[in-house]
Amino acid sequence: MRVAIDSRTRHKLVTSTGKHVVLILVSVVLGFPLLWMALTSLKTNPQALADPPVWIPHPFLWSNYPNVISAVSFPRFVLNTLMYAASTIAGVCISSSLVAYGFSRIRWKGRDFVFKVMVSTLLIPFFATLIPLFVMYKNFHMVGWYWPLIVPTFLGSSIFSTFLLRQFFMTLPQSVSDAARVDGANEFTIYRRVILPMSKPALATVILFQFVYCWNDYLGPLIYIQSQSWYPVSLGLTLILGTYTTNWPWVMAAATAATMPIVILFFFTQRTFLKGIAIQGTGEKG
Amino acid sequence: MSPWVIGFLAFFAYPFFATIYYSFTNFNGVQSPQWIGFANYTALFHDPLFFTSLFNTFFYTIFELPLSTVVALGLALLLNQDVKGRAIYRTIFYIPSIVPLVASCLIFVWIFNPATGIVNDLLNNVHIQGPGWFFSPAWSKPSFILLGLWGVGQPMVIYLAGLQSIPSELYEVAALDGARAWKRFRRITLPMLSPVILFNVILQLVACFAYFTQVQVIEGSDLGGPGTSTWMYVQYLYVQAFQYLKLGYSSAMAFFLFVISAIVMVVLFRTSSRWVYYASEG
Repeated sequence: MRVAIDSRTRHKLVTSTGKHVVLILVSVVLGFPLLWMALTSLKTNPQALADPPVWIPHPFLWSNYPNVISAVSFPRFVLNTLMYAASTIAGVCISSSLVAYGFSRIRWKGRDFVFKVMVSTLLIPFFATLIPLFVMYKNFHMVGWYWPLIVPTFLGSSIFSTFLLRQFFMTLPQSVSDAARVDGANEFTIYRRVILPMSKPALATVILFQFVYCWNDYLGPLIYIQSQSWYPVSLGLTLILGTYTTNWPWVMAAATAATMPIVILFFFTQRTFLKGIAIQGTGEKG
Repeated sequence: MSPWVIGFLAFFAYPFFATIYYSFTNFNGVQSPQWIGFANYTALFHDPLFFTSLFNTFFYTIFELPLSTVVALGLALLLNQDVKGRAIYRTIFYIPSIVPLVASCLIFVWIFNPATGIVNDLLNNVHIQGPGWFFSPAWSKPSFILLGLWGVGQPMVIYLAGLQSIPSELYEVAALDGARAWKRFRRITLPMLSPVILFNVILQLVACFAYFTQVQVIEGSDLGGPGTSTWMYVQYLYVQAFQYLKLGYSSAMAFFLFVISAIVMVVLFRTSSRWVYYASEG
């Protein structure tokens, strides 16, 4: 009997070590590109191009960062991106929560069918509607600035946010609405005074995703932003790449500078973040 | 509700039908559209670049879709193991997918640079002559596929959530019956996970049909994608629309894309009832 237990614990130890080895190997492979980016960003150009490769930069050339940041108007790109993110976050919080409220807390005929129609528009290729939209915005003189990317978010264009908020609203007990109704509150008051204050975690998730989306968005600004002074970070990076292609430490310093805020943000908000994605994927059936 | 209805009509229904209308016209965005019947479609089917870009998109999709599914599911299975420090591994596995796409592109063209990149340096050490990666007509598509596989964090997290929602009793009973790991995976994990797999496959498909940013960034900076080897469908559409201002022609491309993806989605949904298992129905 004792022998059996011993072999079992040993077996467990072996498989556990094996699992760690596999996990560490995969981590190294997946983490390497980011590590190499950070290392390159601190090298001199000859070091970056050296063969055999120089692993640890010597000295750590921190000046690559201020140099590349001042070579292009990087702070301006960051400001533009923050402005873009803040405006769309306002739009999403106001409109998507209202729409989600209508899809979850009010009963009306055909509600679930219309909701399905809305979700299924996610499957339609973005480019299938892009050209008339572009023409429309052009006629409104909105092309050239962030208007075409901001205005729709005030009209519930962020289906993902609506979906997430609806899933959350559905989990709130009906009794809280009923209690408010007894006190004579109308639907908007219930939405404003009862449901929204209860939904802070869900709104936080939506804000987070919207921020990451804007920070990483390339296609939207590429189509609608023309002047370099209004570029967001993503387009700014391609500008740096186009100008300093031969200076890899600078390019990698810019890439690191664009990546770090998102990675740091993710570190502190991991739980909210991963939960949001899980709801998106598995809440589909709910 | 009502904001979405306005939004839906203005930003979706109207442009959708306008795309169909434009596709039958000669239109440059300045003068009003002129009706030319099926001329755009006829031209489309005589345009070799149209077929090249269509083929490249299919090529990418056919490899990326199964590979990313296997990789994301594999990573999720690894993370679902009962080991210490799981949260740390999960963070490392996930982070690549939140790196801004443009930054990911820069990193990949740098580490896969055929002459000075670290990957070929390392391959050299074990006496393998590394390929030209993004610069080689034969290897450019696989390079983009690798870039895509690096960022499978999103489906991975969804698979992980799906795995954790499978009741553990199912495995316990199966273990008592003497089912081995592979059989448990085939008979329990895959069926229980099938709705999530369908969901991820749909999302991946939408992303593959819209594959744009990566090729645009890398080719736009002359850092890869030689000739037309990685010309993608929507990239060609973008060029026709916003560089040549052939809005009628590109609308025809856009509508064609809609038809193709609609067909694929319908086929997928129709066949899904054969392999997707919903616990509530079973």
